Amino acid sequence: MKNIKKGIAAVFVAIFTLTSCTEDESVATMNNVTLAFNNTFKGNTIVLGDATSTEATVNTSAEGQVHHFSELKYVISNVRLLNSDGIEVAYNVSDLDNGATVVDQSKEETLEYVLNNIPVGEYTQIKFGLGIETALNTLDEVSFPSFYATAGANDTQMHWEWGTGYRFTKIEGFYGADNNTLSIHSGSTVVGTEGAYTQGVDAYRDITLSLSENAIVGNNAPKIMIDADFDKLLSGEANTITLGDSNATPSIHTANNMVLFVDNIGGNGDDNITGMFSVNSVEN
Amino acid sequence: MKNIIRNIFILLLLVSCSHDDSEIVSYENPEISLVIPLGFPEFNNAVYNNIPTKYGVELGEKLFFEKKLSTDNTVSCSSCHIQANAFSDTNVQAIGIEGRLGFRNTPSVQNLAFINFYNWDGSRLELENQTLVPIITHEEMDSSILEVIGKLEAESFYKELFYKAFGDDDITADRIYNSIAQYEYTLISSNSKYDSIKRNEGKKFTEREALGYQVFQEKCISCHSTELFTDQSFRNIGFPINPNANEAGRSRVTGDPEDYMSFRVPTLRNIEVTAPYGSFGQFATLKEVLDYFDNGVLTADNLDPIFKDNNNRIRLTEEEKNYLIDFLKTLTDYKFIDNNI
Ligand code: HEC
Ligand code: HEC
Repeated sequence: MKNIKKGIAAVFVAIFTLTSCTEDESVATMNNVTLAFNNTFKGNTIVLGDATSTEATVNTSAEGQVHHFSELKYVISNVRLLNSDGIEVAYNVSDLDNGATVVDQSKEETLEYVLNNIPVGEYTQIKFGLGIETALNTLDEVSFPSFYATAGANDTQMHWEWGTGYRFTKIEGFYGADNNTLSIHSGSTVVGTEGAYTQGVDAYRDITLSLSENAIVGNNAPKIMIDADFDKLLSGEANTITLGDSNATPSIHTANNMVLFVDNIGGNGDDNITGMFSVNSVEN
Repeated sequence: MKNIIRNIFILLLLVSCSHDDSEIVSYENPEISLVIPLGFPEFNNAVYNNIPTKYGVELGEKLFFEKKLSTDNTVSCSSCHIQANAFSDTNVQAIGIEGRLGFRNTPSVQNLAFINFYNWDGSRLELENQTLVPIITHEEMDSSILEVIGKLEAESFYKELFYKAFGDDDITADRIYNSIAQYEYTLISSNSKYDSIKRNEGKKFTEREALGYQVFQEKCISCHSTELFTDQSFRNIGFPINPNANEAGRSRVTGDPEDYMSFRVPTLRNIEVTAPYGSFGQFATLKEVLDYFDNGVLTADNLDPIFKDNNNRIRLTEEEKNYLIDFLKTLTDYKFIDNNI
């Protein structure tokens, strides 16, 4: 009983502070958390460029192939934060309009994704999906018109129409001395429900990252700096890939060979749950 | 006991009342009984979750012929799926709005209620999930489902059709998908000369057709089997390869290199009117297909054993080819392809 009273009191305090804190500097109950994505080759922020660009960041793969990108996009969804009590705060995980985003290297504003109204607390871990879980990956414009529009925009092209799903990654670029075209797309082709797929390939990867220091949500809105090292694309933990036209590898608009790339950048969901991602720092 | 009898009586009254009522306030929308033609396989399970009804099919047919499904109102499903061609077309590769070129040949739409894998690569397992693909594909209709719903809502007769089909006039995405699928389920071709011979309806093969049927049973039936003339397996038979980077055949879906450039064995019903042939229209005529088999197909690691074990070819004499073509023409169902009947 005492506890209930205490609880009710706490709720009152919470409501009180919620309403009042918009006006003054008193204690917050929620605040934003920003995810800042830094897309790199081995730590050097990627500069995009066309075939003959002199500015583009050039990377060399484990197999010695030079390559650079002209386009770099990926979908992040299903974001969850783990607080120091081990409790998971899920961020609009069933709502693509408010819980998913396309990170597009050519659009600076997309490199930061703001999670609104995260409860006050100390967070130790972040989880998110590279791509979209099958249940939500249906190009359902009626349910999620805003994400559908963003992803499908002419300069974004993250609809995978034939699979009635989203593209999870879209990477265009050039490789080798002759600047051959590289075009690597990923997306899921699975049919059925999770655990009972009747056919296809699941390209969704769940990423788990421990924060380098706790993100403290309070009066301050912390920023989590996440590095995505695209060197892993060809030279990952899972696969060392040589691009070439004989194996049709550089043009992966299909599930054929796609998994090699997906496992490299998204991990295999088993003993590699970070893929190309790491937390660089946390700004509190 | 008395009470029970009275209650039953009331119940009966109730039942009959509500029946009468419903006739007044809503349309009677009877289910259409789809008959499985003699020797055809079972329905795809999806049919049982979306059983065609009189007005569901009527609406689906209307939508199938509706150009408003494309963003510039110029292309309908029936622009590419033309009845006279067993709901395929005569283009090498499909042509959508503004003359945009797709990367595959348009397949026929017939007997799909009995098929378990749709499209050349079997990417869809239910017709209800297939309809959105052409609507949103850039090279086909380049629209979106909300755009389509918006256009249909502006037409009062669509409100009435949805009302008749589904009991209220809400125009929803699922109702669009379901009604079109219901219409497609009714497109059953089983009235060719071949069928009437099989059913002993008094017709007979000509001598040449009969010889062709013999060759067919020797050299084709291991893949083009059952009364659908497809065993619905996916095979690489070494046809010339589509240079489009999006093409990988079945492995586009499965990611399995074993499925590279494998395609669903196509039906041969109404094959006379569905030229050109092959997944991207490689062959203009049936003769070209047969010449190709005879001359030898492309080799591949996963080339079907039937070809691999026979020097990558199906040997056919010129006579056999002609007989075969005569036989294949007995699979034409004039009733099915003539929209005046
Ligand atoms: C621009 C031409 C075009 C238009 C318009 C078009 N289709 Fe198709 N259709 C195709 C092509 C090409 C394929 C083969 C696609 C593949 O294999 O990837 C196909 C495949 C199909 C299939 C699968 C057939 C099979 O044998 O598995 C069905 C069913 C179908 N379309 C129905 C429709 C419906 C319904 C519409 C309208 C909403 C439509 N199509 C609009 C060209 C078209
Ligand atoms: C090993 C299995 C197999 C055998 C045997 C076989 N086919 Fe096919 N057939 C296929 C497959 C698979 C395709 C589709 C291939 C593609 O498009 O790449 C096809 C395509 C065709 C097509 C083109 C159909 C269309 O709609 O585009 C025709 C016509 C055809 N076969 C006729 C025959 C005839 C006649 C024979 C016997 C002489 C035969 N086939 C033997 C598997 C087979």
